[in-house]
Amino acid sequence: MKKTNPSFLNGVPELLVLRLLARREMYGYQIVEEIRTQTGEALSFGEGCIYPYLHYLEAEKQVSSQRREVEGRNRNYYKLTARGRKRLEALTSEWKRVTTGVSLLMEEQYA
Amino acid sequence: MPDFIEPLRRRLVELGCPMAQVRRLVREVADHRDDLKQAAVSEGLSGAEVETRANAQLGDPLALAEQMMAALRRSSWWGRHFIFTFCLLPLLVYPVLWTLLLLLQMAFGFALGYGWNWEKLHVVANNPVTFHHLTTAIQFMDYAAIALVALFFCWLARRSAVSLKWVAISCAICSLAAVITYAKIEPHSFFIGFAMNSHLHMPWFRGAIPLLVAGVIYVFQRRTMRRLQEKVAG
Repeated sequence: MKKTNPSFLNGVPELLVLRLLARREMYGYQIVEEIRTQTGEALSFGEGCIYPYLHYLEAEKQVSSQRREVEGRNRNYYKLTARGRKRLEALTSEWKRVTTGVSLLMEEQYA
Repeated sequence: MPDFIEPLRRRLVELGCPMAQVRRLVREVADHRDDLKQAAVSEGLSGAEVETRANAQLGDPLALAEQMMAALRRSSWWGRHFIFTFCLLPLLVYPVLWTLLLLLQMAFGFALGYGWNWEKLHVVANNPVTFHHLTTAIQFMDYAAIALVALFFCWLARRSAVSLKWVAISCAICSLAAVITYAKIEPHSFFIGFAMNSHLHMPWFRGAIPLLVAGVIYVFQRRTMRRLQEKVAG
């Protein structure tokens, strides 16, 4: 049976969050800001919507969190777990497969 | 200036979010709001403008609460399979309940020093006074077990962030199951089974227990809501 990609678009926020957390631990506001700036403001999370998402990833044991005080501010810092790293690898290869396919089609259309 | 945090907290409680989760979500959103305000100040805004900008960036608190609850539901297996969990599982839990009752009955026997001594058990069964004490104790265990099953489903509903409607549905099914199941003790015999018959001892009381549990949970929820509303109004 041919492999389909129904979760492709649903997996984008997960891919972005896991990718950012693979670099370093971050708190919610930082993640939202990084997504906005690093995608050239092409993509952005609703400000508060990141937390249900982070909690979902935490329940799935893809990230872990710890409340810490840094520079006088208490915040929940999130970091990637081993399971999250595996999930990131799977999502990355899926992303490459889909973007390669889309690129091939677009190149053919505009050639 | 409309408040953002209290409406968010209130809506989360209304939607049946577990209190530990409410505290955590509200604390994180409040932290985020502080960061947004700080960013607004660094861009040269001041006073009410800072608050307005932060609130606008966060969006509608009620919609945010609903998104948060949907994410909580998705993160729990029970929340994703709520029809199985709150409609079918209460019926399946009863065989487990009966097994537990039997184990409790045996433990009770051991505690009284009867163990597997059939002679002693026959003496208890033949003596109306001791037999009455035994059946009363087992009946109490039966009621307690029914209440525990209903409480378990209420806890599961809170844990998986489903609405109060599912608490009511699971308790109603627990109630039905309690009415149509029975555990009957007679001298030298013990019966368990499904039946809609009249020889059961207080079958409607057994059925009322899960409904009472649901009622208590509802009252508790309303009181929590009222306290929050008073806090917002005050």
